Amino acid sequence: MFKKRKTNPVAVAVALGATLMTGCTSATTSVVKSESSSAHMMVASMESGTLVAASRVSGGQGVNNPPLAALGPVPIPPDNPNTPAKVELGKMLFFEPAVGGDTSTPCSACHEPDQGWAWAEDISRGYPGTVHWRNSQTTVNSAYYPRLFWAGSVPSLEAQAKSAAGGAVAGNAEFDIVEARLALMPEYRKRFNEVFGDEFPLYRNAFRAIAAFERADLVQRDAPIDNYFNGDKDALSEEQKRGMALFNGKANCIECHNGAMATDFDYYNIGVPTLPRWDEDGLAQITYRYEMYAKGSNEEMYKNYKEDPGFYFRDKNVWNKGKFRVPSLRYTMYTAPYMHNGTLMTLEDVVDFYNQGGGNNVFSANKSDLIKPLGLSDEEKEDLVAFLEAFSGDEIEIERPKMPGYAPLFTKAELMMEKK
Amino acid sequence: MGTRRIVKYSAIASAVALGLSVVATTTVAAEHGPVAKIDVNNAKAEIGKRLFFDRRLSGDAGISCSDCHSPDHGFGSKEALSPGYPGNGHFRNAPSLVNTAHKKTWMHDGRLGTNLNDVTREMLTEDYIMNMDMRLMQERVKQDSEYLALYKAAGMNEPSNGSIRKLLPIFMKTLTTRNAPVDNGTMSDSAKRGGAIFDGKGGCNQCHTGALYSDGGRHNTGVPENLDIFLDPMNHQAYLAYGIGMGVENIFNTKRDIGAAVQTHEADGSDRGTFMTPQLRGLKYSAPYMHNGMMATLENVVDFYNQGGGADSNKSNLLQPLRLTSSEKSDLVAYLEALSGDALTGDEFVWSKSFPAEYEVIPNWRQVDNRTRAPIKSTH
Repeated sequence: MFKKRKTNPVAVAVALGATLMTGCTSATTSVVKSESSSAHMMVASMESGTLVAASRVSGGQGVNNPPLAALGPVPIPPDNPNTPAKVELGKMLFFEPAVGGDTSTPCSACHEPDQGWAWAEDISRGYPGTVHWRNSQTTVNSAYYPRLFWAGSVPSLEAQAKSAAGGAVAGNAEFDIVEARLALMPEYRKRFNEVFGDEFPLYRNAFRAIAAFERADLVQRDAPIDNYFNGDKDALSEEQKRGMALFNGKANCIECHNGAMATDFDYYNIGVPTLPRWDEDGLAQITYRYEMYAKGSNEEMYKNYKEDPGFYFRDKNVWNKGKFRVPSLRYTMYTAPYMHNGTLMTLEDVVDFYNQGGGNNVFSANKSDLIKPLGLSDEEKEDLVAFLEAFSGDEIEIERPKMPGYAPLFTKAELMMEKK
Repeated sequence: MGTRRIVKYSAIASAVALGLSVVATTTVAAEHGPVAKIDVNNAKAEIGKRLFFDRRLSGDAGISCSDCHSPDHGFGSKEALSPGYPGNGHFRNAPSLVNTAHKKTWMHDGRLGTNLNDVTREMLTEDYIMNMDMRLMQERVKQDSEYLALYKAAGMNEPSNGSIRKLLPIFMKTLTTRNAPVDNGTMSDSAKRGGAIFDGKGGCNQCHTGALYSDGGRHNTGVPENLDIFLDPMNHQAYLAYGIGMGVENIFNTKRDIGAAVQTHEADGSDRGTFMTPQLRGLKYSAPYMHNGMMATLENVVDFYNQGGGADSNKSNLLQPLRLTSSEKSDLVAYLEALSGDALTGDEFVWSKSFPAEYEVIPNWRQVDNRTRAPIKSTH
């Protein structure tokens, strides 16, 4: 297994990508799986300031992969420590419409708590007058990702929140109007001052608070799989235990879905088909072209492409077209539909998809060799789905904060006294 | 009498500023004259007109140019303060766009001084105005086959954000004053008397010069502050966003509209509260008046100047009490009304056809070029 992987071009490319991500200036040429893994750890270490800690009670069967494990404490970056006041402020801001361009798109608009802290459609609802082009991912446990978004384009929750707030098909807000709005809400002036010392709320601090909220309240470490690895062997049903054996063995899911987050944080093309909605929805066609244009396509791509190039936009290497970050399997019971474009409606569909050896898209030249027909029986597929459900605990519900209102900064008397 | 007045103002103006003295010493009505019509490509103006009335040119597709610059109000707004983008208000009156193509400097604070293409871009992209990412705008316009047909009829390639910013100004060039009584010799006797006051006793022509009746300069006339800017957080947030974007110092504690100081930045603050001299060509349709809409009628405006303007420590010395009689004031109002031409409300200036409720689908999407909708030759 180890030797085979050594010559696997996909693994080399993936590991190279990981090496580049760490910011090394000289790329290693003799990359093996173990170095790839250490590169991941470096990413986590460098970018979040702490390792994705996991208590590895029991290993899976995939000898070269980090085993599935209970989720450890959430990594907190040293430059944005969590405090209760910051978390509370972040919770308010997560639901605050004023951070969106026309005050109708708080974070929760596309990360709706009742829809798995995501959006239960193929692609995200997007800013009014638009639709997004990718599936909205759950914010639950997003704090464990070393990089965010489907192609890993940003290195922190703070950067993710800012990027989403500013995107034309997401929040479509700019810093000046948001700072102006927050300044006109006394509750925020008070809280930003207490938490950050701001005289008037600063845009960047809004995202630090939102990230702190996500690290504190949108974390799930008590899913059945956590309880199982923490010692409760009854936390998984027999069916789920059989599913886990398939996961680690015959189905080989562990090859990419490994470690406590059940992801290697790497990027693969597994042949997810093109979004059918692009054939049928003018609004979605507009956004597709916009994204291709805005992300930087050459003319040939802009003219002819009908598929999301994914990781390609990160480094513009042709072999990265159609690659997307391996998502965590945690909380997926609540986050249907699945894949970067939401084309698979249920976990059963997902298992069927892998069982048939993935799919095909126009970038299939880059499709991972790891994806091949699995030959699972119906019973095995059911076991595997049952096991996938063990990655989800109870639905995370929170009491939505009371939204503060605007109040004038000055009284009429103060304004009348202004010397002109 | 008239001559004596001019000499008097000339002396004051010379003491104030050399540049202004030029204006003040130039004599009377001859310097006004009709507004030149601008020849445009009609096919292109037609596209610009459709764009002007198309709400899909704003971020959330909620407002069009015409929602603040309404043809029913001289391509301005009837509100004292412009409505602004959904989710916020605004802090200034939306000026009439009639004759805007003849201006050299735009916005009440004069912060844009290049061309209408830049003004268009600013209005489309500014977050408190239309909040549009122009890359998205381009793709929206390209999705609409009526635009494709109009572009083709105009001999142009497929829509782009660059061409959209060229076409909107072409439409705006059609918005010129025509058949104004002052130009075609149909003024009433009252208006004629008002014209003499304008250039004489009223001294209006110290600043309101030329065909557009504007010297293109900035002055502080002491217009009272519109407190709704600060007392209504919807408006105040737009002002703050503007101030932050313009780099205004201490904006959060600023209790007045600083006006053209955003572009002049005088260290002593003497430029605070200066605003660009507006043109007077569409007054009949564009009430209320002043940069902040504080004056509802032309009578209010004349009264304001008759008392020597408002209160401001930096008020221009050009403003002195005029001591106009009530019949002189009504003559002056009659003259001001005579500067406006026909209402630009016909089909030539208004896109009255409806827009599609939804974007059409490009049916054979995978088989056609995203840029031109021609069949794809090569595949990837």
